[in-house]
Amino acid sequence: METKTMINYTHRQAGHCESGATSNLLRFYGEDMSEPMAFGIGNGLYFSYIPFLKVQFAPMISFRNLPNTVFHRGMKYLGIDATVIKKFKDPKEAMLALDRNLEKGIPTGMQVGVFNLTFFPPEYRMHYNMHNLVCFGKEGNLYHISDTVMETAQVLTYEDLLRVRYAKGVFAPEGKMYWINNVPGNLDIKAAVAMGIKKTVYEMIKVPFPLIGVKGLRWMGRDLRKWPKKHGVTKASFYLGQVLRMAEDFGTGGAGFRYIYGAFLKEAGEKFNHTELLEASEMMGKTANRWREFTYIGARNCKSRSQPQEDYGMLGDMMIEIAGMEEQVYRKLDKIKL
Amino acid sequence: MGNSTDDLKDPSPGDNELIYTYNRELFYHFDKEKGFTQEVHYQNPDNQVIIKQSWDAAEQRLDEVKQLVIIGKLSPIAYYMEKILMEVPMLAAYMEISKWRVKRHLKRKVFNKLKPEILAKYAAIFEIKVEALKNPDFLK
Repeated sequence: METKTMINYTHRQAGHCESGATSNLLRFYGEDMSEPMAFGIGNGLYFSYIPFLKVQFAPMISFRNLPNTVFHRGMKYLGIDATVIKKFKDPKEAMLALDRNLEKGIPTGMQVGVFNLTFFPPEYRMHYNMHNLVCFGKEGNLYHISDTVMETAQVLTYEDLLRVRYAKGVFAPEGKMYWINNVPGNLDIKAAVAMGIKKTVYEMIKVPFPLIGVKGLRWMGRDLRKWPKKHGVTKASFYLGQVLRMAEDFGTGGAGFRYIYGAFLKEAGEKFNHTELLEASEMMGKTANRWREFTYIGARNCKSRSQPQEDYGMLGDMMIEIAGMEEQVYRKLDKIKL
Repeated sequence: MGNSTDDLKDPSPGDNELIYTYNRELFYHFDKEKGFTQEVHYQNPDNQVIIKQSWDAAEQRLDEVKQLVIIGKLSPIAYYMEKILMEVPMLAAYMEISKWRVKRHLKRKVFNKLKPEILAKYAAIFEIKVEALKNPDFLK
């Protein structure tokens, strides 16, 4: 039986998968929200460094919040009626729920693993389970997919989609799906921006734990200096590579999301005519450029493996300097009243 | 892009070849005059080196495991697990058995006594035939 449902959904490429999906979903419902706005309101920005937990053979480093934070918090702060189903026990039921949504004309977001995602760039296909995409149509056995990392919309077979929705391992998606039910007419974007900034400031400078936010950055900077002595040059280079991969790989928009956040501050500042926000956005932009310098120097270090140890000392200092620059932005944001 | 961020832009063209050109991604940039801009391009050569580093490391790990399988210390399961970039906890999750059992199965001696059903399940995860799991090509 050939069934066909196609929702008139526009695929737009974005820097970050989840804020891209959130922004595209909102646009479908007539709310013109850019990716940076969705990212900023939904607390996309984050940092954590967990040296004793190894992921892909290197310390766990994250520049982003937990999966589904952007969508969930964004919807909460904006006061939009949305549904998140965290988990389906039965994969077939998860696919049926998706089909029902499509028949009702609801584009539906899902968390997936990228290892078996057939259309994904081969160089990124590792076991990474925190990716997001939106399904907006079905034709027979094929699902139409909007993945904001990709330049164009893609298709996946039923079997392949089921497989990526049930990828296993750390942060297994377990069939998670989410969608918007209803967008009220007059959204209070200003209040949402204020709540989003407040929470991000909290997470970056006020969490009383040394490995999260700016404190985590400093900790990593100090560790970075010691890596060659502690682990040898090859491993140090791999660890450094991991920091850079987390900051620059797919779905970051570059420099560990700092550009996207800066763009958010700028857009919010322009929208509400707020000078201090605009100043903060410029500071964030400069920080992001410094991050990018860090990744360039770091990448060159990784390229030639027999590097003198001083380079790690320099990179560690640079990281601590960046932490200081970021802290100033958050302190400034902390004082801003919207 | 403007001239003011030239020092941040890619190093001189030609000294680096792009390795990955499957998909162009969206990147943000910042520059004092223009503010924040978006641009779609391939990952820059420096970042591509970093991505390659992790694939090279995976290849090296696979090679090391392969040697251990050849001398009979590890079972072919260890090799195929490494080949699809998995680690014990993840493989255990796919197998729906406990981690310590998977860890045991990595020993050659235990592997030799495994039941056909379990072997078939492993083979299905690795997407190979049971025969290939028992006798990998490099052991022949």
